[in-house]
Amino acid sequence: MTKAKKYWKGLAELNNDPLVDKLKQNEFVEEIPVDEFLGDKELPASSTSRRDFLKFLGFSTAAATLAACETPINKAIPYVIKPEEITPGVANYYATTMYDGHDYASVLVKTREGRPIKIDANKSATNARIQASVLSLYDSSRLKNPMKGGVDTDWSTADAEIIAKLNEIKENGGKIAILSSTILSPSTKQLIADFSAAYGNVSHIQMDAVSYSGMLDANEASFGVRVLPTYSFDKAEVIVSFGADFLGNWLSTDHAKQYVTARNPKNGKMAKHYQVESTLSLTGSNADDRVQIKPSEQAGLLSNLYSALNGGTADSRIAKMANDLANNAGKSIVVCNSNDAQVQTLVNAINNKLGNYENTMSLSNPSYLKQGNDAEVAALLEEMNAGKIAALITYNVNPSYTLQNAAAYNAGLAKVGLTISTSLYNDESAAKMMYACPDNHNLESWGDANPSNGVYTLMQPTISPLFKGRQFQESMMAWMGKSDYHTYLQNTYSSIDWNKSVHDGYFTQNQAASTVSSFAVAVPSFDLGKADGIEFEMTEKISMGDGSQSNNPWLQELPDPLSRACWDNYLTMSASTARDLGITNWNVSNGALNGNMVNITVNGTTYNNVPVMIQPGQAVGTVAMAVGYGRTAAGKCGDGIGFNAFTLGNGTATLEVVGGEYEFAATQLHHTMMGRDIVKETTLADFINDPYAGNHQVTYATHDGFKPASEVTLWDEFDHSTGHFWNMSIDLTSCIGCSACVISCHAENNVPVVGKEEVRKSRDMHWLRIDRYFSSDMTKELSAEEKISAITMYAEMEEPSGNPETVFQPVMCQHCNHAPCETVCPVAATSHGSEGQNHMAYNRCVGTRYCANNCPYKVRRFNWFQYSDNDKFDFNMNDDHGKMVLNPDVVVRSRGVIEKCSMCIQKIQEIKLDAKKAGTRVADADAQTACSSACPTNAIVFGDVNDDTHQVQAMKKDTRSYALLEHLNTDPSVFYQTKIRNKA
Amino acid sequence: MQPKIEDIFNMIRINNFKSCILLLAVVFTFSFQTSAQPDGAQIYKANCTACHMIGGGRLVGPDLQGITEKRTKDWLKKWINSSSELIASGDADAIAIFEEYNKSVMTDFYFSDEDMAALLVYLENPPVEEVQVASAAGATEHDKGMSGSTQMMIVALVLLTLVFILTSVKNSLKESLGQETETVPETLKNQTELFLANNINKLFVGLFIMIVVLKFAFDAMMGVGVTTNYQPVQPIAFSHKIHAGDNSIDCNYCHTSARTSKHSAIPSANICMNCHASIVSGTTTGTTEIQKIYDAIGYDPETRTYIEGYEQKPIEWVKIHNLPDLAYFNHSQHVTVGQLECQECHGAIEEMDVVKQESELTMGWCIECHRETEVKMEGNDYYTQMHEKMKEKYAGEKITVDKMGGLECGKCHY
Repeated sequence: MTKAKKYWKGLAELNNDPLVDKLKQNEFVEEIPVDEFLGDKELPASSTSRRDFLKFLGFSTAAATLAACETPINKAIPYVIKPEEITPGVANYYATTMYDGHDYASVLVKTREGRPIKIDANKSATNARIQASVLSLYDSSRLKNPMKGGVDTDWSTADAEIIAKLNEIKENGGKIAILSSTILSPSTKQLIADFSAAYGNVSHIQMDAVSYSGMLDANEASFGVRVLPTYSFDKAEVIVSFGADFLGNWLSTDHAKQYVTARNPKNGKMAKHYQVESTLSLTGSNADDRVQIKPSEQAGLLSNLYSALNGGTADSRIAKMANDLANNAGKSIVVCNSNDAQVQTLVNAINNKLGNYENTMSLSNPSYLKQGNDAEVAALLEEMNAGKIAALITYNVNPSYTLQNAAAYNAGLAKVGLTISTSLYNDESAAKMMYACPDNHNLESWGDANPSNGVYTLMQPTISPLFKGRQFQESMMAWMGKSDYHTYLQNTYSSIDWNKSVHDGYFTQNQAASTVSSFAVAVPSFDLGKADGIEFEMTEKISMGDGSQSNNPWLQELPDPLSRACWDNYLTMSASTARDLGITNWNVSNGALNGNMVNITVNGTTYNNVPVMIQPGQAVGTVAMAVGYGRTAAGKCGDGIGFNAFTLGNGTATLEVVGGEYEFAATQLHHTMMGRDIVKETTLADFINDPYAGNHQVTYATHDGFKPASEVTLWDEFDHSTGHFWNMSIDLTSCIGCSACVISCHAENNVPVVGKEEVRKSRDMHWLRIDRYFSSDMTKELSAEEKISAITMYAEMEEPSGNPETVFQPVMCQHCNHAPCETVCPVAATSHGSEGQNHMAYNRCVGTRYCANNCPYKVRRFNWFQYSDNDKFDFNMNDDHGKMVLNPDVVVRSRGVIEKCSMCIQKIQEIKLDAKKAGTRVADADAQTACSSACPTNAIVFGDVNDDTHQVQAMKKDTRSYALLEHLNTDPSVFYQTKIRNKA
Repeated sequence: MQPKIEDIFNMIRINNFKSCILLLAVVFTFSFQTSAQPDGAQIYKANCTACHMIGGGRLVGPDLQGITEKRTKDWLKKWINSSSELIASGDADAIAIFEEYNKSVMTDFYFSDEDMAALLVYLENPPVEEVQVASAAGATEHDKGMSGSTQMMIVALVLLTLVFILTSVKNSLKESLGQETETVPETLKNQTELFLANNINKLFVGLFIMIVVLKFAFDAMMGVGVTTNYQPVQPIAFSHKIHAGDNSIDCNYCHTSARTSKHSAIPSANICMNCHASIVSGTTTGTTEIQKIYDAIGYDPETRTYIEGYEQKPIEWVKIHNLPDLAYFNHSQHVTVGQLECQECHGAIEEMDVVKQESELTMGWCIECHRETEVKMEGNDYYTQMHEKMKEKYAGEKITVDKMGGLECGKCHY
């Protein structure tokens, strides 16, 4: 059955587009235009003769040589007074907290010479956005001064004026509103309470860009507590998600770890995961069983599920799910992304019926990650428009961009007497306000957070403020005539060991949670109807989130795990809907993807010329677009990309196909692996019967019988018996495609950003890519076996992209011990190391690109241009602030050389040196690459296979372990573990 | 001439003792000599030299020449352990000294009995031999033999003399035969013409000239970017000879990060101030060069105080050892793990007034050393398991750095 599967990266490949064949054959898609150049008729007429050309060439060579002879004078400028904790060349690590109003994580920050350069997980896992936030620190588009009416001012002037106005408002009894994101910091809440006490009529309203208000309201109605539950996916045996992308963007970053814990095939059982959704989400792509619905069907299906659990008849689409849930009461989780309190009440009723509360999810130990209240925000908007608000202070929010009715907010803003923004940027909202009092970045601030009951994490500055900003809390104190938030923060936690807690980055403390009452509300009921027409759904991309970091070039260039497109948002649509509308996507001659455009109208808002991306897995009759794009005041990188989906809101869409074509920057066909079988997968049932299921070794017929490739080799073996032998295991079952590793690799290895145009030319520089393969296993045999009707079978075969299965496969340099690249390098720039890595000496490389052509894994990247200090590539490496994020231990590559994954050799060298200095062996926990340390699910495990204390040794011998393209006998140091799906 | 420590101390003028309390910063010596017997000289140097001299007159505190005769050992022990306690106890001598030195308190040193005894023994026998050793070390430098060009000139002279003698002999023979004689230049000319008349000889000469030219050209090209003997003028005429040589300050005292970091960083000005807060005048340049440190950090040598709100100006040293960015080098790997002495790469720094680049710092130079240097595995658990296996693999051979992958590209280039 598995054998019959066809894997494909893009629709063009599925449809056997001849272009894809061409791309398969050519590593570099564009020919060098020699013929075109020589055929130029005007060339002989040029006044520059061949002789002149040679003269210029000779002169410039001589000049360059002479210039090179002169040794430049380098200065070494030591500190005048060296800070005690800084040793030049040695990294310091600080535990702190990242929270930007949307994403929260407890992190460990690596600093070099006082500059934060890398973020890793501490108490909680990180995602791609948290990883990338270190670059947002160095964003030169941040506000560098306080501003009044768009003009720079200084703090004393701004403070004096603001205090005077606030006092005036206080005397007149005016109302002051503070509009903030969810505030996780207890000390900040205290501070706001102090502010209320000082100025009397103050109201504090919290809002979340992507709202969870419906869920909070439902919990308040159902259980009397306006909080979110904490989930324990690791304890669940059946996981049902109605649209909630809990592995990607939904609530906590810790869900992924719990999820893979519950799905370890080693245990002989895996939690069964059902996903019911319209748009293919990261979570949906990992589901064992995925049901496609229209958004309007969600409530009806949940209602049906509830009645099925109470003895009713289940809809055929969810019958199995209902059965599994009923059999796993107390060991299941049902989650839903709806922001409708009624729907969420229904979800509560289901979980309550199943007895999941306090087993797999807990309200007595609640999560405080989202606290926004839509009703209060709506009320504020009304009051603002009625002229009832005298002053508005915003913190960590960008309502003019994230509110669906931003127009009403903007109109109301004009009626408020005093408006103060504390945004880091002069963003869409701040630009419309009187004062901009820029906050400091998290990495420059003191703070605290209380993400869930009893858990506190602390934030400490890891760098002095880069600009003349002032953190929000200090501003609030200044406006109360106070100062020193640091002491204020310490006083908030008088009973703890402060230094230890700051060092650890967190502490736990008993915290009184509100009493949870039992579920006793009427369960709402919905019809199983389905709306006609095309429905639109807002989604969230793993890279962009709510758009607050949209000026971050790493995130902009991070390909979406599912569409593989970057630098864009677009309307995703199923192939069948697109065919009905006459919309297509096609690849142009260099392999880049183009598509048709539509005008879309949702809830009265129209966007013209919106590109359509045909996305396998998108439910028929639905379209979706990610939020976080369409920024107008984000900065040079984030402005003018895509459309703002916040303004559309969910609802019925009217589409109108328009002419013209749109150019995407999609990496899905890049570096294609020539159609070889590279993903191995099997089902849990098969795996239990045969541990080698799906992973039978390729053998060759020899005169001695069948032998594996490794025994019919022409290669001399490297002797790896002594010393280290660094290997990496990548578990396809645990990899959820979250892309945190890609950003981590960017940060660690100074990988350049190349921009949309270059990505279109397949010149992206990611050292680590996550290949996404879709597959569909509808075959005649299967239909006969499972008694699927002929009509359905043919429909599915015809439309395999309708509801495909997805596999994510991270691919970096495989560090072959019989490396095809090494043998073809004419200058020995790439060579093999005794510790299992394939080395790349950039300064030796002359740029023939033979190695890239000979690499079966397509992991070598060529520097077509100099990406640093080049105005054509105006990203972080062309910016004095942006360059501060570069890792000083890794060379910034120049134009004309090949680069690739080095297996973080700088990190390996460092841990070895640390071990030598300490006189100990390298500990397993210390052996980490950038990708393995960022992986929230431990799918990537790195270590020394020659050391039996290292986990990776056992993993190499595992029955699931296989080498990519093992029939080539490249003997890679990176190996994969077969993907196991929990399905029959 | 090698200046003696006494001379240096004589030139140091200390005018004011009020800042004595600031002088808690003591000169530490970082050398790792551990001997069973406590070394009085070591203790003295580590703890006392910042404020005292022996036979050099007053510094911050009194001259310690003959101190063991002036005071009882018991009294000295009490004073050194805690002078303030002794003063508080009402000891008349103690109070007198306290008054004499403007009531500046000496730092308390709680030495063990053995250390104290060793120190007192050292104070009884002032250090004469040490200075002589230093001078002897400096003197050996001059007998290094002659340079290549001198040798060549001598050879040329000998050859010319030979030609002259032979010509004279030939002339006298010819004279005796009554033939025409030749002068030396004529002989040379004739012989050369005769030699070059043969084509094979021409070819050899041509080849010889070509080889010489190519050799020079090759050397010149290989020398591009190689800056051996680079000896730039530094913003402060700092002498390693005075600091590391004459005063035997351990390299790591100033270059603190060599043991722990990839960089052996140039010391920050606050490290200079550990000593130069009190030493305001130097042996060769007087106050001019030391003043530059004060200008950087904001220190007033008159009042011995740091200037409030001073805008500090970093000292811009000229970097001598420039490795290209493409090469990764880590000092701690070589200093701590490899246990190399600084001098093995940097030359006799302690003899240089102005530091110059001693080694080539080329890749060939690195590799040569990696091929020859044996890995110091003994006593380091990191190598334990590896060592056993490697001993088997390379039975009888030295396990050098290259056998552990020390020549691989990626180990230094990433």
